[in-house]
Formats: sequence, structure tokens, C-alpha cells
Amino acid sequence: MATVQTSKGADLLERLGKNGDGKPPLGCMQCGLCAASCPLGQAMEFPPRKLILQAESGNLEKVLASPSLWMCVACYACSKRCPRGIELADVLWPALRDAAMQQGIQPPAELQETFQNIFKYGNTLGRSPRQRMDWTKDLDVRVLDLSKETRPVEVLLLVGCYPSYYPRNQVVARAFARLLTQLGITWGVLGAQEKAIGECDRMFGEEGLFETLVEANRKLLDKQDFRKLVVLDPHAFRALQKYYPRFGVWYPVQHYTTFLAERLEQLKPLIAKPVEAAVTYHDNCCAGRRCGYFDPPRNLLQLVPGVKLVEMACNRDNALCCGGGGGGMWLDAHIVAQGGQRLSDQRVAQAAETGAEILAVSCPYELARFEDAVKVAGLEGRLKVRDIIEVLAECMDLGERNA
Amino acid sequence: MIDHESLRIGVYVCHCGSNIAGALDVEELTRFAEGLPGVALSRHYKYMCSDPGQELVKRDIVEHRLNRIVVAACSPNLHEPTFRRAAEDAGLNRFLVQMCNIREQVAWVTEDKADALTKAEAHLAGAVRRVAGHEPLQRQFVRIVPRALVVGGGIAGIQAALTLADAGHKVVLVEREPSIGGHMAMFDKTFPTLDCAACILTPKMTSVKLHPNIKLLTYSTVESVEGSVGNYRVKIRRKPRYIDEDLCVGCMQCIDGCVFTQAKFSNAFDQGLGLRKPVYLPFPQAVPPVPVVDPEVCLQIARGKCKQSCVEACGERNAFKFDQQEEIEEYNVGAIIVATGFKAFDPSVIEYYGYGKYPNVYTSLEVERLLNAGGPTGGKLVLRDGSTPKRVGIVHCVGSRDANYHPYCSRVCCMYALKLAHLVREKTGAEVTNCYIDIRTPGKGFEEFYNRVQNEGVQFIRGKVADITPAAGNGDSPHLPERPSGCLAQMGTVPFSGGLVMQVDDTLLGSIRKVEVDMVILAVALEAQADAGDVRRTFGISCSTEGFFLEKHPKLAPVNTANDGVMVAGACQGAKDIPDTVAQADAAAAKAMVLIDSGQIELEPNTAWVDEEMCSGCKTCISLCPYQAITPDEERKIAVIDQALCKGCGTCVAACPSGAAKQHLFGDEQVNEELEGLMNYV
Ligand SMILES: Cc1cc2nc3c(=O)[nH]c(=O)nc-3n(C[C@H](O)[C@H](O)[C@H](O)COP(=O)(O)OP(=O)(O)OC[C@H]3O[C@@H](n4cnc5c(N)ncnc54)[C@H](O)[C@@H]3O)c2cc1C
Repeated sequence: MATVQTSKGADLLERLGKNGDGKPPLGCMQCGLCAASCPLGQAMEFPPRKLILQAESGNLEKVLASPSLWMCVACYACSKRCPRGIELADVLWPALRDAAMQQGIQPPAELQETFQNIFKYGNTLGRSPRQRMDWTKDLDVRVLDLSKETRPVEVLLLVGCYPSYYPRNQVVARAFARLLTQLGITWGVLGAQEKAIGECDRMFGEEGLFETLVEANRKLLDKQDFRKLVVLDPHAFRALQKYYPRFGVWYPVQHYTTFLAERLEQLKPLIAKPVEAAVTYHDNCCAGRRCGYFDPPRNLLQLVPGVKLVEMACNRDNALCCGGGGGGMWLDAHIVAQGGQRLSDQRVAQAAETGAEILAVSCPYELARFEDAVKVAGLEGRLKVRDIIEVLAECMDLGERNA
Repeated sequence: MIDHESLRIGVYVCHCGSNIAGALDVEELTRFAEGLPGVALSRHYKYMCSDPGQELVKRDIVEHRLNRIVVAACSPNLHEPTFRRAAEDAGLNRFLVQMCNIREQVAWVTEDKADALTKAEAHLAGAVRRVAGHEPLQRQFVRIVPRALVVGGGIAGIQAALTLADAGHKVVLVEREPSIGGHMAMFDKTFPTLDCAACILTPKMTSVKLHPNIKLLTYSTVESVEGSVGNYRVKIRRKPRYIDEDLCVGCMQCIDGCVFTQAKFSNAFDQGLGLRKPVYLPFPQAVPPVPVVDPEVCLQIARGKCKQSCVEACGERNAFKFDQQEEIEEYNVGAIIVATGFKAFDPSVIEYYGYGKYPNVYTSLEVERLLNAGGPTGGKLVLRDGSTPKRVGIVHCVGSRDANYHPYCSRVCCMYALKLAHLVREKTGAEVTNCYIDIRTPGKGFEEFYNRVQNEGVQFIRGKVADITPAAGNGDSPHLPERPSGCLAQMGTVPFSGGLVMQVDDTLLGSIRKVEVDMVILAVALEAQADAGDVRRTFGISCSTEGFFLEKHPKLAPVNTANDGVMVAGACQGAKDIPDTVAQADAAAAKAMVLIDSGQIELEPNTAWVDEEMCSGCKTCISLCPYQAITPDEERKIAVIDQALCKGCGTCVAACPSGAAKQHLFGDEQVNEELEGLMNYV
């Protein structure tokens, strides 16, 4: 076969496109829909369109050195809308970030620390693996720790970093534990052995670290006997469903919203009281725009008597990102320093406009992000941020005793 | 019975250049053929289909008294007619020739040379044994019905019908809507010359109505098509207008007389921007100029209770027929031209453009109606609140060039968007901004028109618009939407002034801009009609991946289809402008004339026939025949097969319990011999 001469840039783009499921970015027609759709595009030196243009013409150094390389928060708006079907968020950005780090370019400090934490402790918060089960303290239902005794279960719950360690999210994890038990499902957790799934690393171009985690998790999960994995974090869902299989690792997995939405009939009898409130739901980008699960979370909220579901100006496919994906959780300072706005602040303003009293979420990052934004906006007392699990728990009397 | 004694079969192995000779040993194959029973001689040659190749066959037939021919070459689709003709020239019945396809079925699909030879030998042995059982047959011809059917009365159908009719041919023109004219009738001006659409279209529409050779059937669709090329039987479903077309003189008094003094129902022709009464004419120049009654809202038809002041207004003309029913009419035609046009893309599925939510976001087709002197505003470009927009944004490529909707370029939008920019500026003096990905103007006078519009001061931004959101403003708009639409890039939604912001990456400036406008026009894609799938099935043609009807060959047979008697023309075959549509319509008319003027058509010889001695008249075959070609002869108690209708599918042959149904070229003996020949070598 004849070798085809390509430009350095085209070559690079071709290579970068290889690990994706979309088309390589070679087909870009420079229409700019990505840049103008990007919620941080205006603050970026190289929004997606320019990034491709520069890379294609071989000016990779410029792109890799720019602070804008560390501004994508994986909201997938560009990928979803791209008229040429280019996987910008899933493929191009991680590949470029990987290339930058290979050249010794350092990502923002806060993020580096997070990677260190994952590397050393297996979680983003830098806490000891021995404290993984802290969330179960004072929990009034039995939690089967499969790391201590392996037993066949219907559901293996991957609790995730924030719900395991972060007090605000621990409340959610506990409520979910009660809910699972109430549903009569046999379930267990990996206890001290559980490790981060690693979606944020992959999106951040830490492909090496990600691979290590895939391998570690494969070893752990292969030992267990379960029907399906259920995760609280939609990013973990996406990683297990889409990226793990690339390494030949596949398990049936569901995000808790779809898992529960398939059991509306079983949930109904558990309802004890109404939750009288106007509720607006924030579509997280991963389960929503990326995976297309718009209805399950809404179906769950509509199950709750008293809940009046109202929609924000931007919803479903057009929902505004909270700014926490793809490593964005640890990028706020960097983004603000580059002149970008905190997306969580904007999103909370949109939620307030609906007149809702509860901003419902289904991603562990969002509780912290939005509660902070509510404070900044002075909306305390007017707008509460609640995980869908908490709303369900309230109407089923499964919440914290002292809350 | 095969008379083996007298068999003298000639076998010809073609090299097809290196196509066959490169894949298997043709000399060996030729030697192999020599040894087969009944073979008198066997040869190989570089190109059998060439003149010298054919001469060889002809000479051999005469000199060697050959009485059967086998050509081992390409698919019979390509050269069976060639060799049949050659045999006939040499005095041999043309049906004593058998093709053996060793190119497509062997050479092109077999890698190993030895395997290829074995396979070719098996095929050849089958062909030789088969041809031994062939019998001389008579060629059969049928007369072509000298009338054409044109489906769709847009500019494509109008043009094709007039061309055929002017050449002296009878035409039946079927149009689904109450009037012919199609999309062109909606426009005020047409690019690039800005001719007034009505001025150039209306005379043609009237000619259609008046032409003695054209039978115009509006408000009608084709229900079914039977028969085959040259002889189609079509059933046409005619919707009731509730007004007798022959009695109505087009005075429109009934519309004035209708009990509804005000027009209050949405007029589809005006894209819902204009209103009409229950009895209405879709637009002033409609042809035929006969009103229609909408049975859903007409009080008399819907409720059976009305003063019927319309009937009174009609007076002694007495054209109202409230009891009119749907009717089926039947026509025989020889050729069909499908010209069903396109559908404008519905942009409400692209949520970020806010169409259907923001009242000031319009489609191009809606704006065409607003600009049209005969349209709902009498040609004034005004917003829904009656105000004139001062800033207008035009978004290109809405639904086109987009993997999420239609990956293709719709070809006409750049030009019509330039036209609209010009007309908007001319009528309102508004500031106009076109946001485009590429401006495509490949046509006569097109680039010049682009340049003209630039010089008129229209702004151009190179970038695909990302979000259309309400501009923050004060004061309540009378058209405040119930629910603001989605937006990624903008916060602050209600209340708004009615103004809109287009967010776009100005890719030439290199910055993301927010452009504030009062009106947005979406240059929507042209897509296949929603019912293209049904139409395709009715006429036995195919669709391409984009959904448009597929031509037989993209370069060399652009108006023919896989179905020999059916031609396509206009935007139903792919997005195109009026000049291209008209050219294609004339081409389709020419192809229809080629067919009709040839007067007769040869039938495939492989039809079924009934051995009258054996037929018991059980009628099993009759209901099974997909072509309604078999009728019972009640007196003689046998089945009779119409040779002109039989397509040679073999269903009756397989089903006949007494073995009386037989098929030319596919007799038991021929098929069994071929199979045995083939199997002996596998
Ligand atoms: C906004 C806009 C502006 C345009 N401006 C211009 C311009 O300025 N200049 C230019 O050259 N081109 C222009 N075009 C393109 C132009 O509209 C097309 O080239 C032209 O209409 C194609 O003609 P047609 O007859 O093939 O299809 P159509 O105009 O779509 O006509 C098809 C006809 O078939 C009928 N029909 C459909 N299905 C059936 C059925 N099953 N049975 C019976 N009848 C059926 C329809 O009712 C219709 O009457 C414009 C297009 C758009 C969208």
C-alpha cells in the first residue's frame, strides 16, 4: 500500500482521534458551533474550534502551553452539537492534555494534588482507605462489606469518593442504603477496598493513572459475585459503561436514577408523606447530555406527592453545566483566574428564576458546588439543594433521624 | 425431450481483458468444455463482446452448423442481448443462447486460481447441460400506452407535463394539494435574477389547465400502480372539494358569502401565518381557480347545520356538492414521471434555535410568505406584533451539513438566504446579518448576486450560530413565550423585549460574538417528503440514504430509475433550485417520450404458460399471482395467463398441483439439467 503523505498536524489529529468512538477531528469544517456553544468559550484562548485549527496546522506547542487547555469541564455541549460528529470532550481534550503532561507541562496545582491523592490513597480527597466505611457509622441498616466476606448479591454498590468521605454526601449514601434495604434487595459494598473509578483522570488526560485504576478495579470486581453494579456518581457510570470496555473490562452497571426509575411500582408503597415543594431538576451533563437519560430522574421526582416539578430555562440537552466535570471540580480557581465565570453560580441563578424551593441533583459533585453557589448568591433559606435520593428519603421517612 | 444426437453446442470463454483471464486459466477451461457432452467446439477470446468476438460466434454458427451457444463471460445483465442478437444474425433462434457468468460469480470473488477454475468448470457444465434443453421461442412485443402520468404539480411536474403535452402526448397530472404550483408559488421573487415568481409561474399553471392534452387532477393522490413498463394501470384517489370543478366558474362569491364573516382558520399555504375561511382558495393565483371546502370546520359538513349562504351566493351555478365522496379513477399509462418535490426541514427539533418558542424566530418559508405581495401581510415584512424589524439575522445551514440532522448541503439555501437578505433590506431598510459556514454560489449569475448583496450593505459573519436567546429587556412583550427555551450560554431570561441574541463564533475575527436582532430567519434544509417511503413503494423505485429518490445512475442516467418506465424530476430526487429542476423535468419528459414513441416494448421471454391438457382448473394459481396475470376460463375449466402481464416470477409454476403451469426458459428439464451439471463438479 502506498504511504500517504499527511501534514504533521493532520497526522496528529488522526492519532488523537484513534481512541474515540467518534470521528477523528480531521473532518472539522471550522464552523465554530463548538466554541460558541461552550459555556466557557469566551474565556478561552483556544476554544475547541481554534484548538483544532492550531493543532491541524502544526502549532501544537501553543495549544499545549495555553492555560485554556485546562478549562474544559466536560459538559459535552460541543460534542453533542458538532455537525461533523467529532468527539471533542471525550477524545480530543484528554488526548491533548495527555500530550501536554508528557511534555512536562504541569496542570493547575489543585488538580495535581487530586491526582496525587488518587495515586496514593485511591480517592480524590486524600483520605485513608481505612476510613472508607465511615459513612456507615450510626447507620441503622446492615451493610454487607464484601471485602470481608464475599457473598452473592444482587447489587454491588460503588459508593464513590465523595459519598464515602464528605459529610454532606455521606447523608445521601446512608439514605440510599436504607432505600435499597427497604426495597428488599441484597446488596453489598467493597468497603475499605473500594477505589476511585477514575473518570476524572481519564478526562483530564491522565490516561496512565486511569489504566492503573481499571486494572485495580477489575481485580477487585472479578472476585465478587453480583448481578449489577449501581453507582451514585454518573461519571463512574459513564466510565464503566464506555471506557472500561476498551480495556476488555465490562460489568452491567446502572446509575442509581435509572436503577430506581425501573422500580417505580416497588417504590410507591414506601411513600409515607408528601414533600410540598416546587422542585427544579438540574440535568448533570454526564447522565443527561452525554448519555441521554433525561426522564428517569424526573420520573422519580414526579413520584413524590406534593412535588411540583418546574423546569429551568436551560434543561435537558441544553442544560447549563455545574462546572464540576472532567476534573472541573478542582479547577474553579484556575478558571476564574482566566476570566471565566463559575458555572455553578450561573446555574443557581437560573434555578432561582424558576421560583423553585428545591434544586434537585443526582451527581455527588453538585451538592457541594451548588450549596456554595447558593451562599454566594445570598439565596440561603430560599433555595435548598437536595439529591434526588434525599427527596425520596424524606417522603419515605428514610432520612437522618436528627436532620 | 433433448435430442442428444443432433446437439452441436459452441462454447466461448471470454478473457474480459485480465478480469477473467487473470483469475483463472481460460485455456484449461476451454479444453474442459470440449469434453462436455454435445459440445461441437470450444474457443476462448480476449473480448467476446467486441465486434471480432461476435463475428467469431456468427461465423462458427454458419460454418460449424452450431445449434446452441454458451458464452462464459460476464453477467447476463450486460451482454446477453449482445449474443442473442449475434446468434439471430447468424440465423439461430436467439433463445438458444445461454450466458455463464464466470466474471462476477467466479473471477471477481475467488482468490485462488485453482479454486476459480473448478468453480468455473462447474458453472460451465451446468450451462452446457441447460442449453441443451432450450427450445426456440418467439419474441413477444406489447404496445405502449401512449399516455404519461406526472405525479406532483410543482414546477418540475408542470414543466414535464407541458413539454410532453406540447409534443402531442397525452398527460395525466396528479397533484395532492388543491392547487398546482408547489413551493415556487409561495415565493415573491426568485434568485438570482429576482424575477417575480408569480409572473413566470402563473402563465405555466394556466397553460396546464387549458392544455387539451393535459388532464389535471388536483387534490388527488396515486393509490396504486399495477402492470409494468409501457403498460401501467393506475388508480387515483380524488378527495372531495365539495364543489363541482366543472360547474364552478371561479367567481369566489361563495367565499364572500360564507357565514363566517371573518377568516379564522390557519392557511397551510401561508405556513400558518395567514387565515382563511372554511371555504377558501389557498392563494389568489391558484389553478384550478376552484375553492375547496374544509370539512373539519365547515358548519354544514361538520354539524349538518348552517344557513348555507355560500350556496346562495353560488346561485344558479349550483356548484356546491356537500355530499361529494372520495372517488377512485383509473387510467392506463405507458410512462410515469415522479415529481413530488421536497419538504422544508422543521427546525423546532434544534432546541437551541428556539423555533416555536420565540415568536420572532421564523423559517425561511414563512418569510417568503410575508414578503409575497399575495401573502398574509400583502408583502409587508412585519413581526407578529405588527412592528417592522430593524435588525434581522439570517442563520444558514439549519438542518443541513449537520451530522445530527442532514449531512448533505441543501444547495439552494445560501442563494435564497442572500435573496431574503436583499428583499428584507429593500423592503424595510433593516440591518441584515447573515451567519454562514461557507457561502456556496456555484451557478450562473450566483456569485455576482452574492457580490451585489454584499455591496448593498448586508453583513456577513462566518460562523454557525450556537444559541438564540431572548435579549434582556424591559417591558412586557405582547408575545412573551409561555416557557423560555433552552440556552447554554445565556442567563437572564424573562421578561424580554422581543429582541433576540444570536451567539456565534466569528471565525474570521476569532472571537465569540453576541448579535442582537429583532427577527431571526432560519435557512432551513430541503429534505425528502415525509411520505417518500410510501411513494417509493407505490412506484417501485428506491430511495438514497438521504431519503430522496434514487436515480438509475448518478452521472449517466440521472432521471431514470431502477424501474424502467418510471422517471424522476426535481427536488424529489435531491435538493435543487428552479433552473436545475426545470432542466431535469425536460429531461424526464424526453425520456418518457423515448419510451412512448418507441411504440412497443419487448417482453421478457421467461413467462409462464399453462399446459391446457394437464390443467384441472383448480384456480390455486389465480390468487397467488402477484401481477393479476391469470384469469380462469370458466368454460374450458382452465387457467389462462396473460403474457403481457406475467413477470416470470414462477410462483404459479411452483404452486400448481398438477404441474400444468410451466415457464419458458425455466422448464423442469432445463433447471434440473443445469443443477446436475453444476453439482457433478462441486
Ligand atoms: C425558502 C426557499 C426559497 C427558495 N427560493 C428559490 C429561488 O429563489 N430560486 C430558485 O431557483 N429556487 C428556490 N428554492 C428552491 C425551489 O423551491 C425548488 O427548486 C423547487 O420548488 C423544486 O420544485 P419541485 O417541483 O421539484 O418541488 P415542489 O416545489 O416541492 O413541488 C412538489 C409538488 O408535488 C406535490 N406532491 C408532493 N407529494 C405528492 C404526492 N404524493 N402526490 C401528488 N402530489 C404530490 C406537492 O404538493 C407540490 O405541489 C427555494 C427553496 C426554499 C425552501
